[in-house]
Amino acid sequence: MSQNPSQQGQQAVQTTGHVWDGDLQEFNNPLPTWWVYTFFATIVFSIGYWLIYPAWPIGNTYTRGFDTITYVDKAGQKVTSHWNTRALLMEDMNKAAAFQKPFFDKVLATPYEQIAKDPELENFVMATGHSLFENNCASCHQTGAQGLVGHYPNLTDDDWLYGGRYAQINYTITDGRHGYMPTFGEVLEPAQIDDLANYVASLSGIHADPAKVAAGRQLFHSDTAGCFYCHGEQATGRHVIGAPNLTDQIWLWADVPAHHTAQGKIEAIRKVIYNGVNKGVMPAWGDRLSPVDIKVLTFYVHNLGGGQ
Amino acid sequence: MSSVAAASPYALGADRAAAGVEEYNFDIVKKFTIMTLVWAVVGMSVGVYIASELAWPFLNFDIPYIEFGRFRPVHTTSVILGFGGSALFATSYYIVQRTCQARLISDFAASFTFWGWQACVVLADASYMMGHTTSREYAEMEWPLALLILVVWVVYMNLFIGTIMRRKQPHIYVANWFYLAFILAVAILHVFNHLAIPVSMFSMKSYSLFSGVQDAMTQWWYGHNMVGFYLTAAFLGMMYYFVPKQAGRPIYSYRLSIVHFWALSFMYMWVGAHHLHWTALPDWTSTLAATFSILLLMPSWGGMINGIMTLSGAWDKLRTDPVMRFMIVALSFYGMSTFEGPMMALKEVNALSHYTNWTVGHVHSGALGWVAMITFGSLYHLIPKLWNTRLYSVRLAAIHFWLATIGILLYIVAMWISGITQGLMWRAYDQFGNLQYSFIESVAAIHPFYVMRMIGGVFFLSGVLVMVFNVTMTILQGKREERQALAAGGLAGANV
Repeated sequence: MSQNPSQQGQQAVQTTGHVWDGDLQEFNNPLPTWWVYTFFATIVFSIGYWLIYPAWPIGNTYTRGFDTITYVDKAGQKVTSHWNTRALLMEDMNKAAAFQKPFFDKVLATPYEQIAKDPELENFVMATGHSLFENNCASCHQTGAQGLVGHYPNLTDDDWLYGGRYAQINYTITDGRHGYMPTFGEVLEPAQIDDLANYVASLSGIHADPAKVAAGRQLFHSDTAGCFYCHGEQATGRHVIGAPNLTDQIWLWADVPAHHTAQGKIEAIRKVIYNGVNKGVMPAWGDRLSPVDIKVLTFYVHNLGGGQ
Repeated sequence: MSSVAAASPYALGADRAAAGVEEYNFDIVKKFTIMTLVWAVVGMSVGVYIASELAWPFLNFDIPYIEFGRFRPVHTTSVILGFGGSALFATSYYIVQRTCQARLISDFAASFTFWGWQACVVLADASYMMGHTTSREYAEMEWPLALLILVVWVVYMNLFIGTIMRRKQPHIYVANWFYLAFILAVAILHVFNHLAIPVSMFSMKSYSLFSGVQDAMTQWWYGHNMVGFYLTAAFLGMMYYFVPKQAGRPIYSYRLSIVHFWALSFMYMWVGAHHLHWTALPDWTSTLAATFSILLLMPSWGGMINGIMTLSGAWDKLRTDPVMRFMIVALSFYGMSTFEGPMMALKEVNALSHYTNWTVGHVHSGALGWVAMITFGSLYHLIPKLWNTRLYSVRLAAIHFWLATIGILLYIVAMWISGITQGLMWRAYDQFGNLQYSFIESVAAIHPFYVMRMIGGVFFLSGVLVMVFNVTMTILQGKREERQALAAGGLAGANV
């Protein structure tokens, strides 16, 4: 096949004799043998594929193929059918469920406190919890559960809005939560809000104006602002209504960590007092996850944050 | 330069020359050629931008007109219909005239296809940015634009077939079969995929005539045959003219061209459903699509063999001629992606590759490696002929070649790695049978490859900018030479 243009007249293979556009010609070489045989091989392969899988439509039905799949359907009946994607999914799901069932049964039967004492069971719960968390919870609480200041709580710290005991976490996941703080911008004078912001900042050791701190402390504990009703006399919060502890230097709504000056930090706090909070919604998962999934998640989340 | 047409007895029909009419309508070829380059710059710039948006989402800037969802069809339409379409109009008008020795049957119709087609692409791009879309991939234009495209296409078909019927050669050259198949198939695909009912006469919105899985099936029957007949068959037509011309050698095998032409045309129509493996599509449909994809492998390769073997005996040209290098690398990428495609169409491979960047990489190894490279090679051959001069700089063409090749390699490698990473991460289980990774973890894992892909795109685009400069200088040079020739009182400039 190493023809040279000058030898065109002498070679074994001739052109077709047609000439276009001055010099366009075509040799009439035979089909390359390897090309023909590879094409035959693809035909043989295809016939094999048709014998394995459903392939050719015939009237209202189709050739089923010889491959079969056995699975347990939703009614619990064992079914053997020709290869099809639905059966394949059921077979995979059956396998996974059968493998995980003894573990889930054990989780249901074991009290939370005992799970950690069985290393294999704990491994299972943490691995399954991780998977459940990443696929259901991480869209808000982020991968790794570190949360997002201003939006979603960090679950890896030791601060629990609604309590960190197993029963409390389980309740939070099952029934959801709705955090709320009134809009004080409509109730208090700007100067009063400024005093409160200075006081709250001082609780976390942020350098604040002493005069404003004193005024803020008084307001905090007065019926005018009424902060202590929810956040408590010591400003350490109340789990029952999800009022945050204001003394632990952990911030959810006010983006304090983003600011490097005391002025900026106080301003971030002031904004939250002014606007209030009405977006602290944790959806209820009771209708979407099974009780055992929620139990696994409860243990997982409890473990993340060193629960109480 | 020694123009082939000048040496040919058919170069200038005596009667037409006497009447002051050029034998061929090259004006329309020039217009489409220039728009090919304009759309290359527009479409590929948008491509680089949306690749950057994927790597750094802040680049959406919350501006609805340029956010990824709207800008992506602007990219695909500008490169496929704008760049690829203009290139196919230009080369098909050039080839059909020269190989049939007949002028296009109507200058008005030719002009209509030019302005009509450019209007289609501009309006389609604008409508996507405004938020109008059928949400059918590669067929996003809403019904008024789909109708406009149809009108232009029917005029094109009429013009092309009419010209072939006036040929002064008994035989129709192989390149024209491929263009014919392309024109016919695209007409059918376009009509059926756009069957829809508008909400009202004055609304852009329409609803597909099909529903559910039949709608999906129709869309991918369209989608894959656009790849088959638009991006493959038509560009094979381009290859069948420009490769033998540039190599100065006959096509390797007439017999092979017949066999692979018919096999390709027959097989392609069956394979669209491989885009819908593991969906609600009936399993038998998906099996047939997988097997016909495998059966398509050798018919596809027929074109590659014919192109590459045409060069045998003239391999030395690869060292000296960057234009030939464009064509041969195009054929190599063609061979590679037509091998990769059937593999990805198998059910088991598809379970790993589907919905991942592997698909994106596959498309671009065909689109950049084959479609764009064969177009660049053909234009480097065509443009000096059209303006009756020689290429301004062969060295710049060589630089373009390397920029493009490096760009493609970066692009494809990035998409392979990230695609397989995605596929593996989505399917990974831990020892207790739980999914190991969440979706967002797979997104974080592929970020570096999104950056790499964007850099590949920048390489490819810079190559195009080098070409635009080279071509501009070539055209200016041709015009200068023509003026000089006319000033010297000669007629040399009027030839071809």
